[in-house]
Amino acid sequence: MELRCERDVLVEALATAGRATASRGGSLPVLGGVRAQLEGDRLFLTGTDLDLTIADAITVAGLEDGVAVLPGRLTVDIVRALEPGAVHLNTSGEEAKIASGRSQFSVRLLPADDFPRLADAATEEVTLDAAGLADALRQVVRAASHDDARPILTGVLMAAEGDGLRLVATDSYRLALRDLRGASVLSEGQSVLVPSRALGELTRLLSGADTVTLRLGQRDATFEIGDTRLTTRLIEGEFPNYRQLISGSQANQLTIGREPLLDAIRRVRLLARESTPVRLSLRSDGVELSAVMQDVGQAQEDLDAKYEGAELVIAFNPEYLADGIEALAGDEVSFEIIDALKRVVLRSPESEDYLYLLMPVRVS
Amino acid sequence: MAGPHPPTDGDLLPILHVDMDAFFVAVELLDQPELRGRPVVVGGSGGRGVVAAASYEARAHGVFSAMPSEQARRLCPHAVFLPGRYARYSEVSAAVFEVFHSYTPLVEGISLDEAFLDVSGAHRLFGTSPEIAASLRTSVLEEVGLTCSVGVAPRKLTAKLASEAAKPRASLAGTVRGSGVHVVTEADELGFLHALPVRALWGVGPATAARLARLAVRTIGDLADVPLPTLERTLGAGVGRHLHDLAWARDHRRVVPVHVAKSIGHEETYAHDHVSHETLDRELVRLSDATATRLRAAGVAGRTVQVKIRFGDHRTITRSVTVPEALDTGTALARLARPLLLGEDVSEGVRLLGVSVSQLAPSAERQLSLEDAGPSSWADATRAIDEVRGRYGAASIVPATLVDRGRGPRVKVRGDQQWGPDQGRAET
Repeated sequence: MELRCERDVLVEALATAGRATASRGGSLPVLGGVRAQLEGDRLFLTGTDLDLTIADAITVAGLEDGVAVLPGRLTVDIVRALEPGAVHLNTSGEEAKIASGRSQFSVRLLPADDFPRLADAATEEVTLDAAGLADALRQVVRAASHDDARPILTGVLMAAEGDGLRLVATDSYRLALRDLRGASVLSEGQSVLVPSRALGELTRLLSGADTVTLRLGQRDATFEIGDTRLTTRLIEGEFPNYRQLISGSQANQLTIGREPLLDAIRRVRLLARESTPVRLSLRSDGVELSAVMQDVGQAQEDLDAKYEGAELVIAFNPEYLADGIEALAGDEVSFEIIDALKRVVLRSPESEDYLYLLMPVRVS
Repeated sequence: MAGPHPPTDGDLLPILHVDMDAFFVAVELLDQPELRGRPVVVGGSGGRGVVAAASYEARAHGVFSAMPSEQARRLCPHAVFLPGRYARYSEVSAAVFEVFHSYTPLVEGISLDEAFLDVSGAHRLFGTSPEIAASLRTSVLEEVGLTCSVGVAPRKLTAKLASEAAKPRASLAGTVRGSGVHVVTEADELGFLHALPVRALWGVGPATAARLARLAVRTIGDLADVPLPTLERTLGAGVGRHLHDLAWARDHRRVVPVHVAKSIGHEETYAHDHVSHETLDRELVRLSDATATRLRAAGVAGRTVQVKIRFGDHRTITRSVTVPEALDTGTALARLARPLLLGEDVSEGVRLLGVSVSQLAPSAERQLSLEDAGPSSWADATRAIDEVRGRYGAASIVPATLVDRGRGPRVKVRGDQQWGPDQGRAET
């Protein structure tokens, strides 16, 4: 395989595919590599850790067709460090030569035969608005768990809901739910569980794109954005029954300005390190936000708000609280509060499509 | 009993450090007086056990705590080796602490046999600090039958070193009685401190001592003379400054009545190295469960779970993970600890496994989980477990993985195996 390509074009494609390579060598060293296949002037680059696969295609000046697996990270670092301009890549035997200007590198290739054969994507496809999906993912993925010991909670539920698609994620402390109306991807009653890591990567790829094509298979889902294709294994298992959590009473109602509240949380958080809870004291004439850090000090701030209900004090992990408020659209946030120990629902009064459910921190 | 400068009225010397003399051995002698005068060693009896305590007669033969039991046996083959009875030591310790509390409420227990007392509020009732120290020794001897050594000083740092100076000494000719009480006044403090070897300072282990030796530092006085920047360069800024402060007797720690644990955990040394993840996983569940029970008993929950693994060649590693929610259930601890263990290659054999929890907070403050909203959450199930255990004993309920077929459940009890595995114990 031999080709020439503009440095920036090559770096971007290598880095994109490289984001799916296995970070640790593990049992299959070849998964740390990016597979490169040249057909004429098209270079196809693929990285995979078996769960997530990202493939990108770019146009290059092809000199000789071929296939090779480049050490992913190293190749990206080398190409990125070269002088701007054309990069010459030439593989033969077990070695790749990367040259640009007066720089010359040779790196050992990984065995191409070991690279896993990847399944073809399902044929049935649906096209979605890229910006709309990116927005929904931004609102939902944040609530997914990073705890690999609870695989189901590391996924985002994508389920048919009415005439649209519903996205739900929870780490068992909070839950985010977004309805994408009119986006009928799944048939009635159907749902899949997509790893949040894959959706995080997808969100990056979506920026600047117009549309995204989704193909759902039995075991995996494929998203195509232009020449880039992301395939992810689906998580098997049953997502917790979240419906019972979002229905129910709304005894106390707080409506408060979104930006002022976020700013106040940011200020109070200067003191409330890590997960020191912030307390909201709710009164009919306003809200007091406070945090007490043992041996350090305390912070307190009064906020204008509309509150209807019993006076109470409720505490939250400040990070989780800020996460939810940030995800909401509009100028105001409404809190539905039952009591200091039960789930709170955050919504935007302007939009019914999104809700963020949060469990309080029990204090004293 | 005192240094060159006897205490004056201005010398309040608020801090007492009380250290029981050869505590575990002394308790055994209390219960078996016929062993008096013989070398006695308390500790793990198996091939990998360590000495927890040695009588002064055994110490005269070079036996000291934390030494492998095998070595102790070689040095002193005629010694009486006892397995150690943690429950009994706790009981006696409670009686000793009761005596401490009769002098002041400000008692900070460091371990079963050691405590700091702040007696600054006790002078009107019980006299000067040296008088309190002498009276306290008598009370402990009369009420519990054990001897202790007391250091009296302006600060914790020097009080602890002073109690060491008051201790009996072992010699082949017999035990040399100590002074029992050693008083370090403000005027004597630096002189006393600077004459001691640098290893006597808290936080100076073999590695630090070796680095200091390169600066020709042998005594705490030598250490005090090293310019602070040199010390910070040699030991790092934090440790350097800390030791510099200690060398000048700058120690502002107060006596904190209830000793708040920084971490709670359990570890176990195995008679034979374990090589399979499967076996170790079972051990991990057991240790997690025991740790969680202690967390709940202490009314705390922790956010950081650490797994400690010591391999056959004594190489020791720790791996930890921190989560947003403070945990106090065995299931939750094991769930977090498991990937830490699985991430390590155990094929060369594991001789010790430990689980501990830190970043502790009162469990009253807890990030609630959506699972708490469900009808049969793990939290509820765990609370029920503690109630059953409280009533029927630790082995009445265990995770299913801990039930050995035909042998019944194996449960980790505090103090069980404190100093290494017993001889007859077969490991699966």
